[in-house]
Amino acid sequence: MAQRSRVTAFGLLALSAAAAACRAPGPEVVVYTSEDQVFSEPILRDFEAVTGITVRAVYDTEEAKGTGVMNRLLSEKDNPQADVYWANEPVRAVLLAQEGVAAPYVSPEAKGIPERFKDPAGYWTGFSARARVIMVRTDAGDAPEPSSLLAYTDPAWAGRAVIANPLFGTTATEMAAFYALRGAGALDSLLAGMKANRVEVSTSNGESADLVCAGAYAFSVVDSDDAVARARRGCPVRIVYPDQDEGAMGTLILPNAVVLIRDGPHPEQARRLIDYLLSPETEARLARSEAAQIPLHGEVEAPEGVRPIARIRSMPVDYDRVARALWRVSPLLERWMER
Amino acid sequence: MLWAAVGVLVVAGLLPLASVLGGTFVVDGHVTLAFYRTVLATPHQRALLGRSVTLAGSTALAATLVGLPLGLLFARTDLPLRRTLAALSAIPLVVPPYVMAMSWFHLVGRGSWLAAHVGPAAARASSSWLFSFPGAVLVLTTTFLPVVTLLTMAFSRTVDPDLEDAARLVTDGRRVVWGVTLPLIMPGVLLGAALVFLLSLGEFGVPMFLRYDVFAVESFTRFAAFYDPRAATAAAVPLVFVAFVAVGLERVFLRERTYRFRPAVREAPAPACPLGRLRGAVFGAVALVLFVMVALPLLVLLVASRSPHTYVDALARSGDALLRSVGLAAAGATALTLVGFLTGYLIQERALGVWRSVDTLTVLLFALPGTVLGIGLVTVWNRPATAFVYATPLIIVLGYVARYAVIGSRATVSALAAIPASMDEAARLAGAGWLRRITGITVPLAARGLLVVWVLSFLFCFRDLGITMMVYPPGGDTLPVRTFTLMANGSPPLIASLSVIMVAVGLLPLGLAGLLLRRGGRGGVTRPLPACSGGSPGERPT
Amino acid sequence: MIELSGVSKALDHRQVLQDVTLRVVAGERLVVVGASGSGKTTLLRLVAGLLMPDGGSISIAGRVVSRDGRTLVPPERRDVGMVFQDLALWPHLTMRGNLDFGLRARGMAREAREARIREMLTRVGLEGRGSARPAQLSGGERQRVALARALVLNPKVLLMDEPLSSLDDELRARMRDEILRLHEAMGFTLLYVTHNREEVSDIATRIVRIRAGRVEEAGRRSTVSPAGPRAAKLPEDPGAAAP
Repeated sequence: MAQRSRVTAFGLLALSAAAAACRAPGPEVVVYTSEDQVFSEPILRDFEAVTGITVRAVYDTEEAKGTGVMNRLLSEKDNPQADVYWANEPVRAVLLAQEGVAAPYVSPEAKGIPERFKDPAGYWTGFSARARVIMVRTDAGDAPEPSSLLAYTDPAWAGRAVIANPLFGTTATEMAAFYALRGAGALDSLLAGMKANRVEVSTSNGESADLVCAGAYAFSVVDSDDAVARARRGCPVRIVYPDQDEGAMGTLILPNAVVLIRDGPHPEQARRLIDYLLSPETEARLARSEAAQIPLHGEVEAPEGVRPIARIRSMPVDYDRVARALWRVSPLLERWMER
Repeated sequence: MLWAAVGVLVVAGLLPLASVLGGTFVVDGHVTLAFYRTVLATPHQRALLGRSVTLAGSTALAATLVGLPLGLLFARTDLPLRRTLAALSAIPLVVPPYVMAMSWFHLVGRGSWLAAHVGPAAARASSSWLFSFPGAVLVLTTTFLPVVTLLTMAFSRTVDPDLEDAARLVTDGRRVVWGVTLPLIMPGVLLGAALVFLLSLGEFGVPMFLRYDVFAVESFTRFAAFYDPRAATAAAVPLVFVAFVAVGLERVFLRERTYRFRPAVREAPAPACPLGRLRGAVFGAVALVLFVMVALPLLVLLVASRSPHTYVDALARSGDALLRSVGLAAAGATALTLVGFLTGYLIQERALGVWRSVDTLTVLLFALPGTVLGIGLVTVWNRPATAFVYATPLIIVLGYVARYAVIGSRATVSALAAIPASMDEAARLAGAGWLRRITGITVPLAARGLLVVWVLSFLFCFRDLGITMMVYPPGGDTLPVRTFTLMANGSPPLIASLSVIMVAVGLLPLGLAGLLLRRGGRGGVTRPLPACSGGSPGERPT
Repeated sequence: MIELSGVSKALDHRQVLQDVTLRVVAGERLVVVGASGSGKTTLLRLVAGLLMPDGGSISIAGRVVSRDGRTLVPPERRDVGMVFQDLALWPHLTMRGNLDFGLRARGMAREAREARIREMLTRVGLEGRGSARPAQLSGGERQRVALARALVLNPKVLLMDEPLSSLDDELRARMRDEILRLHEAMGFTLLYVTHNREEVSDIATRIVRIRAGRVEEAGRRSTVSPAGPRAAKLPEDPGAAAP
């Protein structure tokens, strides 16, 4: 008898898994997103509330901790499960377009977004950007303030700087952008200089920001949302927009990018979601949130402590070129990591 | 039914495996070894493989050196509060390895509790130590220690007391343990060590966090930096090869030995060996070990979660994911117990000619990184005709069955070995067919072992990340996946509270199993027994 | 009733039985003796079908059950009962459950099963103890349950493999009487393995010895009496039985 009740109990538990499979009927849209769940989920919930369209989402992990969303999209290419991909930087969107996973869509909400942050054919559209900034401790000492990526090679900062793993995420993109702009020689010099200067490598921009916040290192190049979040928590840091001088490279701007997935199961709902994400209202929400992202619509106010896009000398990059450069620099970066 | 179980393994595991492995040998329609040449091309990569094996071997050794005595103390002595301590020692099984690494970082890293109380110089030293080989061994040992402890406990209960009694007539308790008990339970201990070795070998999250480069990171890098599943799979193959060597050694040295196990017919629990004068000291030592290896990292999480309000917030954000986790883990555990029992029976009884292949397949699937298997599952099941599988939680359960089948089958083999053959023979002569004998005799006699299988399977399924991340239906994430994704810019108290909730929920089946196992072991008549520590005689049930 | 013809069996690369030919008449009480490791248990297990012979044929009640290394009739259909050396009582089942298991397997109706169980428990003197589990019984009671379980299906053949070896002298004597009484009442053919001289003399109507893998006739009782059969004479061979 006791045995039967044990079996029954386990069976009931197992049935709850079946219950998990049951979905409410009605219109729905499936979105895969690489934008941090803490920032993207509220936006998606709002879309649900406003439109009545159920959003089923797959969220990504930090770049060095998960392999989920991009690999999933590529693996599902022949039978897509997703309708929309919300990338947290445009290179991934470009990669998907190159792999034939994306479909073109020019949203009416994209009108106010500068051309340099959109794909001309409509395969991806940028919004709510981050900047690659330098997060510096206010008590970093007398050395000249780091104002460029090249500060990593300045002997004055030897052993006092950290960078996120350059094989992944926005750091990898920045290395590819540097290569695309300055060439292989310049990248080699940068990497060699970083090695000589004993630059520490962390697993992510978030960890780099935490390490600077904790005083373990003097500065790090991170995404602007990581820096702003730590500054707002009271960390003794200031934010420097690198390479702003006349003739300098400019700061790399990395907008979020939204992609319509080719042959997705709910194309109509997908377009509605894309329109919603590209709207000034969404940009305003992301600007006001802890994400502190930089709106690309001119009329939307930038978050406190963050420069508006119009006041940032941005790096003049072609994201397509950067995506192609990424494949070339990755082996170099891998060898550098093997040091 | 046996063929059905083999079929499930083939469909769930072999097909996805074949699809990803096949892709590593073909480029643009031509057969090639290019991916493998790239993977093992440089001395650095070969050195990484060596580091992987060293790390995994050291972790298995450390887990055995600590877990074996703990398991014996919990299962076979009169250590005070041993059931509570045994339950505590199992907690790390529920904690994803990456979370454990994070806890240790908060404890002894720069900017940590230690830095705040002992000073930055000491914190720098401890941080350097953590972010190195010893630190990686410590974190992995802490995470996987329960595997050895629990298996030691389970196997020590199968020893026939008569064998120990015969030795006790001529020598003291310590020599009895060393000369009789240990050799008899060695198959279980080595099974635990082998599992820890395999788990450590394939683990990339902890070494990556601690910046101790190992070969598993190579496979991961191919995925996350290059989006190249074929190269990632090729990079995983050397790890699988090492796993095979380890399992092959285990098979050669252990499998052909026969041991006289305590017949499952006796309902009385295994005798409790009195520790005598050493009781207090041993209790103190065990409590200290568990405090350092288990309680401290978890206390960090508790402190980091800050207030009860955080838990309310965490449940509000992730209650749905929690329910799904429990349901899926229970479904996975049930499926694994069923498939594991049948494949274990098949292996133990050599009931079908393919028994060796089945055993090999379960090991291979366990040794392969979860992400590689996940890609294979997507490749095989993401078709319109199989949407009833791929677009539902069933795909996750299939993934669990493929990845963790080895736990069920190996544990079942051990449970069945403890049942005398005459039990089945008597049933056969009574006219019962195979199915009636299995359900009426074998399963009831193996029930305790199967309960352990279910609980272990539940824990592994509950904390799974690699497979789940790759295949969960949109909107159907589990709690570990939700916690992992929220780590990116989620507030540290929120992450800590989610981790604590994961631990608490994972402990429920452990507690339930403990109650059920305890209830099944009561009864019998006591008779005197010489003490293990040379003190006054104790008593044990017959 | 039982016929072995040219039966051979090797175990662990050792030839245990070689070209064994043996005929057991219906109702006979055949005791098998021999040195330890001589193949007595192997012989029983071959008849039961728990082992397959390497060569030769075995027939039970005129039916060929195995031949030329193939099992033609599986153990569950040979109509054979067996009392194992370790008794093999299922610990998770009560006494009633141990007896009921085989009856349910045969598809008997519930009332018929319960009646049969009551009858068998009464025959072995355990009426009213049906709900006890094996762990709650004494050694003698467990023996009787094992015997009742082997006989509950009214088999044509009963195999007993040193069933009384763990009992004291008094209990052993009582169990021997029990076995003889049941044999008288139920009429099965008995194959009995033992080392014990008293068991040989009390139980056997015929004795065979296994030596060097072969079976030799070793003695026969000239008359069989329900009141107290005269003991068959044992040969003066120290290897034949142990006291």
